[in-house]
Amino acid sequence: MNDMRILERAVSQTDIKISARKVQVYYGEKHALKDVDVDIQDKTVTAFIGPSGCGKSTFLRCLNRMNDTIDSCRVEGRIALDGEDIYDKRVDPVQLRARVGMVFQKPNPFPKSIYDNVAYGPRIHGLARNRTELDEIVEKSLRGAALWNEVKDRLAEPGTGLSGGQQQRLCIARAVATQPEVLLMDEPCSALDPIATSQVEDLIDQLRSEFSVVIVTHSMQQAARVSQKTAFFHLGNLVEFGNTDDIFTRPHDPRTESYISGRIG
Amino acid sequence: MTDATNPAAPVERPSLLVPDARTAKRNAAEARFRAYGLSAIIISLLALVVLLFTIFAGGAGAFRQTFLHVPVTLDAAQLDKKGNGDIEDIKKVMTLTYGKLLDQSVQDLIAKQGITIEGLTDKDVANLVSKEASAQLRNMVLADPSVIGQTVDARVLVNGRVDGYFKGRVTMESAARDSNTSPAQLQLAETLKDKGLLAKEWNWAFLTNPDASDQRPEAAGVGVAILGSLYMMLVVLFLAVPIGVAAAIYLEEFAPKNRLTDIIEVNISNLAAVPSIVFGILGLAAFINFAHLPQSAPIVGGLVLVLMTLPRIIIPARAALKAVPPSIRDAALGVGASKMQSVFHHVLPLATPGILTGVILGLAQALGETAPLLLIGMVAFVKNFPSAPPAGLFDPASALPVQVYNWTQRADPAFMERASGAIIVLLVFLLCMNLFAVFLRRKFERRW
Repeated sequence: MNDMRILERAVSQTDIKISARKVQVYYGEKHALKDVDVDIQDKTVTAFIGPSGCGKSTFLRCLNRMNDTIDSCRVEGRIALDGEDIYDKRVDPVQLRARVGMVFQKPNPFPKSIYDNVAYGPRIHGLARNRTELDEIVEKSLRGAALWNEVKDRLAEPGTGLSGGQQQRLCIARAVATQPEVLLMDEPCSALDPIATSQVEDLIDQLRSEFSVVIVTHSMQQAARVSQKTAFFHLGNLVEFGNTDDIFTRPHDPRTESYISGRIG
Repeated sequence: MTDATNPAAPVERPSLLVPDARTAKRNAAEARFRAYGLSAIIISLLALVVLLFTIFAGGAGAFRQTFLHVPVTLDAAQLDKKGNGDIEDIKKVMTLTYGKLLDQSVQDLIAKQGITIEGLTDKDVANLVSKEASAQLRNMVLADPSVIGQTVDARVLVNGRVDGYFKGRVTMESAARDSNTSPAQLQLAETLKDKGLLAKEWNWAFLTNPDASDQRPEAAGVGVAILGSLYMMLVVLFLAVPIGVAAAIYLEEFAPKNRLTDIIEVNISNLAAVPSIVFGILGLAAFINFAHLPQSAPIVGGLVLVLMTLPRIIIPARAALKAVPPSIRDAALGVGASKMQSVFHHVLPLATPGILTGVILGLAQALGETAPLLLIGMVAFVKNFPSAPPAGLFDPASALPVQVYNWTQRADPAFMERASGAIIVLLVFLLCMNLFAVFLRRKFERRW
């Protein structure tokens, strides 16, 4: 693991943003996720790693209730955002998702202009009072997603006309524009080439200064590069959760060790 | 082990230049399949060509009609007896008077041109012009009473048999056996044609006239039928399209997936396959017998077509919604859009071309539907134009396909030509709608 550039950045913030306790997820009869306890700290990048089908994406989608759209999916346990249970009956998932943004595995810009893609969230949430404010939000978000210089002259062009890496950064800008507190990223780099990947990774590191980021990834190197906390999932169980350096250098569980050294997964 | 292969024997490698038996067989199968496909296309194209040729050959005549140009002296003594030019008094003069006037004018014309034909009777001369011609003349005078007293050059319809003679439908031999015409009358027409007084001309009246009685096919037109079809399309457009699209959106995007929605889905598919005449019976029972709406009215026809068109709009609209990639829905939900916002801002615009195509094809199908309309009395003979909507929706009207059916039932072969002409009109409308559907699809798909 010599090529890994582990960020020795001190985790200064210890506020807990999201706390999950005894989370169970069922797809119909299938018990997909068992007894997951995770605390996600504010202004921290938390990585979920594990082999395919281990439940890491499922758990990520629980955090902003995207699983609600799947009819057969059932979630038990308690997930709290700032101490409030997000699965409470009174919680409107729409309101929750404005605070917990999401970036998907495949870049999925709307078939609208670059500007409208970014402005959509602020518009529906009423974050801008007038056009000038909206312009500001769009510019700030695109800058935040390291895309401004590439697209500032063609904001009216369709977002679907950008390259894959630019599209993904556009999706990040779109998520950032709603000013979320937590940003969930579901394998954001799996459809990107190495250069675009490193751009997105740099971006994730910058985003950490404003809110907490949760990233699901297949690549252990990526987890090691960008995250401060890592959770290792295996067959629906949370095997190990801790500081990224500890997980990669001194794993407690033999399964974690096998996975990071390439023996399973 | 019992391995019998001798490693020393060289393996026979077949040449690539010669196809082996299996490859030849597979290639032959592919060639046969292509031949089947090609012949299927050729057969269907031939059938289409024959169909279109028959219709156009038979129906083109309806757009060209034989007219006689005859100078008519509009005698003030007969047409405006009181001589005060009052329109009410002029209206009291019946068509019969104009008929006599016209007869006399034709007689005078023949005398003036010095035409003498053996065996030509007064009846032949009187019947040369259409029975509709005197009514045309009367309408002309009523529209502009100032022409009374003058001699006008009237352009009047010629009897259907004479018209048929110039279109090759009537011959001298058949005229000899026909009580409605005679060889002498046809000779007269021929002579008038040579003198340039009688000619086949473009016939706008076919598109604007209402239907005419059995005796005067030359005056029949599709005007009322076009208007009736248009009114019914309006009803379908304003009822079936919003209801159908809303039902499709609800079922596809919002409805829970349970047994009830499964049953609804199966029933919608079934409704699309129900024979259209069944909808006619339903319309008769529900709208006419129960709701007491008037017979032969476009509103009833339109409502029946709405019922029939609904499943044909819902099914393609649902398919179009289903075809929108789920990643767009995820993206919208991910930035905190509500279900409704994600549907109306993102899913619906992407599904619009598909939905529109379904809508227009559903409308086109409704335009050509005949069977249900027969049952609700749209096949009646309608001479008066319906008034403007919405009141006109309750007036009796005909419809294009029903008019075609009606004309094919008449005895006079001149109506066959009219029926083919009406089919041409219907096909032109259908073609326009389909082209519009293609245009819409292109326009919306090219946006991104």
